[in-house]
Amino acid sequence: MEHEDPRNGESPHRSSKKPKFSSNYIPESEIRDEFSHHQPRVARINNGSFGSCPGSVLAAQRRWQLQFLRQPDAFYFNTLRTGITASRMIIKDLINADHVDEVSLVDNATTAASIVLRQIGHSFAEGKFKESDTVLMLHCAFQAVKKSIQAYVTRAGGSVVEVRLPFPVNSEEEIISEFKKSITEGKSNGRKIRLAIIDHITSMPSVVIPVKELVRVCREEGIDQVFVDAAHAIGSLKVDVKEIGADFYVSNLHKWFFCPPSVAFLHCKKANASSDVHHPVVSHEYGNGLPIESSWIGTRDYSSQLVIPAVLEFVNRFEGGIEGIMERNHEQVVKMGKMLAESWGTNLGSPPEMCTAMIMVGLPSRLCLNSEEDASRLRSYLRDCHEVEVPIFYQVPKDGEDGVRDNDGCITGYVRISHQVYNTLDDYEKLRDAINQIVKDGKTCKMLCIE
Amino acid sequence: MASSLHSNNTQICPNPTALNGGSAADGKSQISKKPRLYADPPPLFTPSDIISEFSHHDPDVARINNGSFGCCPSSVLSAQNQLQLQWLRQPDNFYFNQLQPKIIQSRTIIKDIINADHVDEVSIVDNATTAAAIVLQQIAWGFAEGKFCRGDAAVMLHYAYGSVKKSVEAYVTRAGGCVIEVPLPFPVSSVDEIVKEFRQALRRGKQNGRKVRLAVIDHVTSMPTVVIPVKELVTICREEGVDQVFVDAAHGIGCVDVDMKQIGADFYTSNLHKWFFCPPSVAFLYCKKSTNNSDLHHPVVSHEYGNGLAIESAWIGTRDYSSYLVVPKVLEFINRFEGGIEGIKKRNHEYVVEMGQMLVKAWGTRLGCPPEMCSSMVMVGLPACLGISSDHDALELRTCLRDKFGVEVPIYYRPPKDGEEGGVVTGYARISYQVYNKVEDYYKFRDAINQLVDNAFTCASLPIS
Repeated sequence: MEHEDPRNGESPHRSSKKPKFSSNYIPESEIRDEFSHHQPRVARINNGSFGSCPGSVLAAQRRWQLQFLRQPDAFYFNTLRTGITASRMIIKDLINADHVDEVSLVDNATTAASIVLRQIGHSFAEGKFKESDTVLMLHCAFQAVKKSIQAYVTRAGGSVVEVRLPFPVNSEEEIISEFKKSITEGKSNGRKIRLAIIDHITSMPSVVIPVKELVRVCREEGIDQVFVDAAHAIGSLKVDVKEIGADFYVSNLHKWFFCPPSVAFLHCKKANASSDVHHPVVSHEYGNGLPIESSWIGTRDYSSQLVIPAVLEFVNRFEGGIEGIMERNHEQVVKMGKMLAESWGTNLGSPPEMCTAMIMVGLPSRLCLNSEEDASRLRSYLRDCHEVEVPIFYQVPKDGEDGVRDNDGCITGYVRISHQVYNTLDDYEKLRDAINQIVKDGKTCKMLCIE
Repeated sequence: MASSLHSNNTQICPNPTALNGGSAADGKSQISKKPRLYADPPPLFTPSDIISEFSHHDPDVARINNGSFGCCPSSVLSAQNQLQLQWLRQPDNFYFNQLQPKIIQSRTIIKDIINADHVDEVSIVDNATTAAAIVLQQIAWGFAEGKFCRGDAAVMLHYAYGSVKKSVEAYVTRAGGCVIEVPLPFPVSSVDEIVKEFRQALRRGKQNGRKVRLAVIDHVTSMPTVVIPVKELVTICREEGVDQVFVDAAHGIGCVDVDMKQIGADFYTSNLHKWFFCPPSVAFLYCKKSTNNSDLHHPVVSHEYGNGLAIESAWIGTRDYSSYLVVPKVLEFINRFEGGIEGIKKRNHEYVVEMGQMLVKAWGTRLGCPPEMCSSMVMVGLPACLGISSDHDALELRTCLRDKFGVEVPIYYRPPKDGEEGGVVTGYARISYQVYNKVEDYYKFRDAINQLVDNAFTCASLPIS
């Protein structure tokens, strides 16, 4: 199996039978060790949802936790702030930010969204913006972000415009075109677009969005602020905040950057760093700037923010460091996606160049996946009866459109497969065989028995 | 220092049989040699059990500041670690099948302990700081949406916690509300002094036809620490037509009596990692059902928005929720002490008063309040000759005690009032007592201060940083 492991490719750390000329890189067996706490036998092809954290980073986290518990006052006064600053410095370099003052560490992208949208909400509530002014978002924006818009923008009187992106998608041009159409709509009747929220990598369905291009369009069209929700970005693709040029950029570090749950960075462009961006959990640090406010939001376990140096050590044990990991994850997930699509007679949700370490693969139409409940049912069935963990997306068919078809009907369901360093060919073959079995047995989603 | 941990009688006790958790018969570790024939419940902790449970604490430090960051026994830390591993093992499965039921279990236990009517009234959040933001956010909306008039008031204690004061500024002042602070005397000699000031402040809040929309009342103030007669103040609030009452009881559970129905507030929050042995960090926010609080939301909005605060708070994006889930294990731990949490509370109070009195006698100073107005913490006057004359001095002295004497204790600067004579006590230490403390901790502190006094140390001689 090791020989067939597609991850190995030309990489030097293949089977132990080969001479170890590149013994500096982390060997297979150690990678397995690092993730030995994962449930064995489960084909864990959903790194996208909750991420993963290697044993050595968990050990580092434990050391930080024990240090706090041993003497919390000394830790608070002498250690915590320096540790967080060290983590922020590493992030600043990774994302090519100008200054560490632009980098705040928060719990997750959900928190960052609340931070950005609250300040927009304040402007509506305090009359800085007009009621007709709009906020632009993607139709497939993450549900938490949509709710945050409801809680802070709609409630304060602002309007929302949704960009409907096509799926499956064939090219970046399709996305840019839809985006421009929505901007026109958002600006119609003399309205102003106060904020555009753009995913860097959408969640469900997952597609890489050409953010640099879209931010440029936003600037041309006079949109006040741009917030890039890049929950999946860091560790998935290259993140250069100067190049992208957004006002706010957030990415989770526990998804693809091997941090323990949970930690994210929020980058706020300095030129735009309004003193009006605040953490909603207000502590005595209120008014000292978002990075400082975020570094103390009451007594908490801040250890996930402190292990970033340990994570860097971990990724640098791989050939090519994080870039090498990203490259190989992408190669493998595309390879696996194609393998599945071929076996099932279906399609990929996007061209390979529009995905990173995740890809959408069409499910056989014979499954008759016709609702969210069906998707949920299938997911539970795969987990309980086949030990496969993978999220399922239900594609609502557009009126009058047939959509993509396989030999038997319309493709209405997609799996979102992920590839991370701990995955093996086995995992995807398990999924392949499970789906083929269901189809062979003549079962549809509604017929699946779950506990 | 460490060696004294292993001698007998390291636990202070008013009488020899009231060792923490054990009866006299359990006082020695020989009990572990007896066969464990108990069916139910597990045996009470012995002193060496307790030492073992807190063996991860720095043994060289006299840790007399449980009030700031609390503590967590190793058996609870182990349970937490198990939960963390369960998540890491298969997070999707944990998310879909385990997380919500386990949170409800914790909420149900808390509901019973605090005598709330319904588990819907109990939300679990990270800490009291978060709870304050939740309560104050809805007040801010009240102003923003015109439910309240500009200038309507929020009342809080002058000794309200720093973060709460900032939260009031961020949410209430910003939205157009007026903030009234209740000045409290310190040192304080009776509950009446507090009640009087509170009534006056409410009257100020209602001047010129204004309404008092919210009263924020500490159950146990932080610095300086005093137990506030919350039940009485809540009653006064109702009499005076205050809209809502929020009790900030960061030091509540495990420190004072926490009975929601008795206290009668609209909102009540308490940290569980301070005096209730939970790991950092977890707190509950109680919201009385009869209060019109459908407008309460967690400021971190997830897909659960609109499903009620308790459900919103149970999912605020991917997080490590393990501290929310260990509450059942903590209950097991607590119930291995004689009298459970009530017993622990009672003994903590008795011992901290005893230690406080020992210190004031040794230094010739005074306590900051009568014994009945303190909980598991008490303010102890420091010798005036130390010359503490600013917040900066207090912090520097604290650092000096930590670095040079191995004593961890927060110091409060109490500015002299007009008309007070020279030699007045301007510095107070807030000593805590928790089950892991021993009399040597307080002797170490006593001796450290005595040494400073003998060396004619004054804060004026500290370098200006």
